[in-house]
Amino acid sequence: MEENNIIQVRNLSKSFGDLQVLNDISADFKEKQVVSIIGPSGGGKSTFLRCLNLLETPTAGSVIFKGVNLCSKIDINEQRQKIGMVFQHFNLFNNMNVMKNLTIAPMRIKGKSQEEAEEKAMSFLRRMGLEDKASSYPSQLSGGQKQRIAIVRSLMMEPDVMLFDEPTSALDPEMIGEVLDVIKQLADEGMTMLIVTHEMRFAREVSDRILFLDGGKIDEDRTADEFFDDPHSPRLISFLEKVL
Amino acid sequence: MGFFEQIIVLLERYYPYFLDGVKNTLIIAAMSVMLGVVFGTLMAIMRMCRIKPLRWLAVAYIEFVRGTPLMVQLMFIFYGLPMAGITFPDVPWIPNFSRFMAGIVAMSINSCAYVAEVIRSGIQSVDEGQMEAARSIGFKYGESMRLVILPQAIKNILPALGNEFVTVIKESSIVSVIGISDLMYGTNGVIALTYRSLPCLAIAACMYFILTFISSRLIALLEKRMKHGRK
Repeated sequence: MEENNIIQVRNLSKSFGDLQVLNDISADFKEKQVVSIIGPSGGGKSTFLRCLNLLETPTAGSVIFKGVNLCSKIDINEQRQKIGMVFQHFNLFNNMNVMKNLTIAPMRIKGKSQEEAEEKAMSFLRRMGLEDKASSYPSQLSGGQKQRIAIVRSLMMEPDVMLFDEPTSALDPEMIGEVLDVIKQLADEGMTMLIVTHEMRFAREVSDRILFLDGGKIDEDRTADEFFDDPHSPRLISFLEKVL
Repeated sequence: MGFFEQIIVLLERYYPYFLDGVKNTLIIAAMSVMLGVVFGTLMAIMRMCRIKPLRWLAVAYIEFVRGTPLMVQLMFIFYGLPMAGITFPDVPWIPNFSRFMAGIVAMSINSCAYVAEVIRSGIQSVDEGQMEAARSIGFKYGESMRLVILPQAIKNILPALGNEFVTVIKESSIVSVIGISDLMYGTNGVIALTYRSLPCLAIAACMYFILTFISSRLIALLEKRMKHGRK
């Protein structure tokens, strides 16, 4: 095992009934690397991401996170604390205000004091210019604000890796920028990230490496520039022709 | 004598029959919904749990109870169970206790099935993403339920439970057929004494309406309160 591989995916397959969504995927993800996953709808991108923290249980294969096989009999809750996840539809806890959304997990799971958790939450909010939203409920926020808060909620747990599942797909166009800026900032700070996205320019700008996932298989796995400038797979070439 | 005068005279002379009936109707409805909520919650948990036989049992119970008439269930409990050797005990200080018990048990068994469905749909109406977010951050299933899902589900469940109470008030009129002195039974008593069926039934209808109207207003008030509580 290489030292700095944070996630190793081995022969991962996932089927829903008769439908095989992921077909024998293997890949390694290095620490501090930003990897984007691109591909047509229904190609298995989201399912792949959701298998990495076992929101979907793989049908076969294994996901090894920091040397721990998540598919074996381990306490998955403990491992999930170290894997942040950001959803397309934000999924902020609707019954809690922003501050509670940010502090409940650190307090309940990590045993942080309320004071400590709130101080940390406040400093995050201040950095995002959202400090006046601390006592707002999710329904009072715009999509962009919700998503930025959702990112902070994950960061509050000090994760080792962040998974983004189409973080801007449900946003109005004018709000996409503010969310992408936050993700970019995280990349600059050295956060390990896997991002499923349809934002091609953003992917090229922020990623060290891009995967093309189609038909449940990784069809291309290159550095960001090679991916766009010198694609090999014919399916990727036709995909890029359509979207660029 | 005109219709309204008849009603006034009937009320003047026989109001204890009606009031006693209202009291018993309310007791039966409240007890049935209370027991229905307790057992309906258990049934809803069984209905959603991972152990398949328990789930099947709950589904069978809910479908069967909702698919058969309350009248049949009542008769089954009141006449059928004693034949099988199961009787409700009589207690000296509450008259007609065993009848009451049979009525309340039948109504509760019925209400339980409906409440179970109310609770299940309340929980399932909470967006799946809420559970996923809670689990992905590291909360256990139980914690996610308690901290995130149930507080949101309760907002859907409480108003529907209120409606169930209103329904039970109305449907409880059926227990009069086994001789429980509820509002309908009292009304029939007054009819037997006076032969004035139309005004008596009008009085009963009004009283049922007042009960259900007040209940549903109270529920609406509660609902509004909760909406203000958190947006």
